[in-house]
Amino acid sequence: MKALLMDTTFCVACRGCQVACKQWNQLPAEQTVFFVGGGYQNPPHRSSETWNLITFNEVSRQDTLDWAFGRRQCNHCLEPACVSACPVAALTKSPEGPVCYDESRCIGCRYCQVVCPFNAPRFEWGKRDPEIRKCTLCVDRLALGQEPACSQSCSSNALIFGDRDELLEMARTRIAKRPDRYVSHIYGEHEVGGTCVLYLSKVPFEQMGFTTGLPNTPFSQEVHRAMAAIPFALSGTALALGALYWIINRRLESFKEDTEEQS
Amino acid sequence: MNRTSSPTPPGLILLRGLAFLGLAAIIYRFWVGIGAVANLSDGYPWGLWVAIDILAGVALAAGGFVVAGLVYIFGGKQFAGLARPAVLTAFLGYLMFVLGLVVDMGRPWHMFYIFIGNHQSPLYEIGWCAFLYTLVLALELLPPVFERFSMDRAYKIWQRTSPWLVVALLSLFTWAMTFSLAWTLAVASILLGWELMMEIGVMGRKGQTPVLLIAAGVMLSFLHQSSLGSLYLMTPHTLNPLWHSPILPVLFLVSAIVAGIAMIILESLAVESILGHKTPLEPLFALAYKIPILLIVYAALKIGDILLRGQGGILLTPHVPAAMWWVEMSLGVFLPLALYVAPGLISKRAGLAVVSVLVVAGLVVNRVNVAIVGVEVQRWHTYYPSFFEIFITLGILSMGLLAYTWATSQLPIHDQE
Repeated sequence: MKALLMDTTFCVACRGCQVACKQWNQLPAEQTVFFVGGGYQNPPHRSSETWNLITFNEVSRQDTLDWAFGRRQCNHCLEPACVSACPVAALTKSPEGPVCYDESRCIGCRYCQVVCPFNAPRFEWGKRDPEIRKCTLCVDRLALGQEPACSQSCSSNALIFGDRDELLEMARTRIAKRPDRYVSHIYGEHEVGGTCVLYLSKVPFEQMGFTTGLPNTPFSQEVHRAMAAIPFALSGTALALGALYWIINRRLESFKEDTEEQS
Repeated sequence: MNRTSSPTPPGLILLRGLAFLGLAAIIYRFWVGIGAVANLSDGYPWGLWVAIDILAGVALAAGGFVVAGLVYIFGGKQFAGLARPAVLTAFLGYLMFVLGLVVDMGRPWHMFYIFIGNHQSPLYEIGWCAFLYTLVLALELLPPVFERFSMDRAYKIWQRTSPWLVVALLSLFTWAMTFSLAWTLAVASILLGWELMMEIGVMGRKGQTPVLLIAAGVMLSFLHQSSLGSLYLMTPHTLNPLWHSPILPVLFLVSAIVAGIAMIILESLAVESILGHKTPLEPLFALAYKIPILLIVYAALKIGDILLRGQGGILLTPHVPAAMWWVEMSLGVFLPLALYVAPGLISKRAGLAVVSVLVVAGLVVNRVNVAIVGVEVQRWHTYYPSFFEIFITLGILSMGLLAYTWATSQLPIHDQE
């Protein structure tokens, strides 16, 4: 399975990946504002037109203020909550890694947004015929044997595309070789069952604006259990109702006669 | 009914006004898109429409399957007069729910993809179930229509064919949920066995209503009432642990049954005082005495669950979610239970009305808590509904009430003894 490794310690926040993403996916530019979302972060938030955002986080480190540059995008979970949630199967997980969206089936219910741990799916709120938009891991480029636009554009080698297992190995080696440089955690290795976008950082991930406190099991686990109970509930209620009806109806012999008189 | 010459009552004018405003707002919403009228955002994609029109609306329509089940399956003969109003309320409630859903969906013109969708999703299950249950309710509602237009032949055909239709629909439903031939055959054979045993006389068949039709209503309701709770199993990251629980589906089902009963009582009392139908009180009292038992079960499940998950401490935290939990439980559970303890209060019309209003209000607050108050999204401004959202919800509610008054004036709903 393919994946991205983002070593945020190498990121210089040039935002070349943001531009490359817009260019390849033909996303329109947005009005930019400074000092709304984390200082020089621009645009302030992800949206249906900005799928990939370099975040600017001011952190205090070794008694000085420092920048820590993070990144937000669809993390392409191994067992995505959105794919389990989508009632019409408009969202699917491809074996190569990307979580794909098919607008021709989407009903616009936004349940994918409700369940996504990373707030990745974005809705076109202003449109009459709105779609869900999010990072596709450049599935169209992967089909041509190319890497995603963002990682190809990355000039500081912060963003590396490759096989998920190899990238995990690389990340573990980096942490082991330079324990002073990294916090000892690969974000995305285990979060919600693992993701196809992995992150390394010099500061704890909550200071980078990452969603933390996520379980290591997929969100879909409990719901799968509830859904698996449906046939049991269905046949169980049918049997119980039939049996109760039989018992009660026998005891109420008089009831039967009454209603027959009525009809 | 002879109310032709009297002037239109002010309540009716208000309802018509609200319905008209709501309709205009709905048309505007489809013209400009959801973002222009609602305060919904990528952080809070579900709001008032989901909380009220969908979660609370479906739960409050539960009276339809509860009363129908009591009368036709559990031999609750004394409730027979309540069955038709309950089924009508449920049917209109589901139509309102579908309208609310269409407004809330970004692309409702794709909605039929739900029938060939993803059977892992609770929303897929709800879509199927709600569609089939609305169909079942429509079938349950046909006898008054047949009576009104003296269609004896159609009545006979309905009686004979609807059990087989039910078997077919529920088998199809089982297949759609499981894609398993074994389960489909299992459900089909249970239902066929039931019908055949009645056919050959091993089991008695009572009255004119096909029992299988009523059973289908109960089965489908059990499933989608609980699945509405399953929706929120996948939101451990945003929903407060006071509400996010593995037994949320069960809590949704039990609370819907209690509130559905309360809604039937309230509706009967309201119909009596507003539309002037005579309502016998005895069945209402009998029904009302089922409420405290269910409330105690619900409270035990709800509080036991929070304590077992070790989240009891949150209840004493001074913040909005905890306060709203106490509001919800006081309105819907503690106060009604206290009123049942007070001697004599519940055997009066007013006491009955107060208890029912409290239980219904408690349910609405609960669903609002699950869908809005208990939801906290990191790095996002919280959500409040916009005036447009409120007017659309009020409009849909008014349309439902208007449809109810119209239907009761046209069909023999309350006239049964």
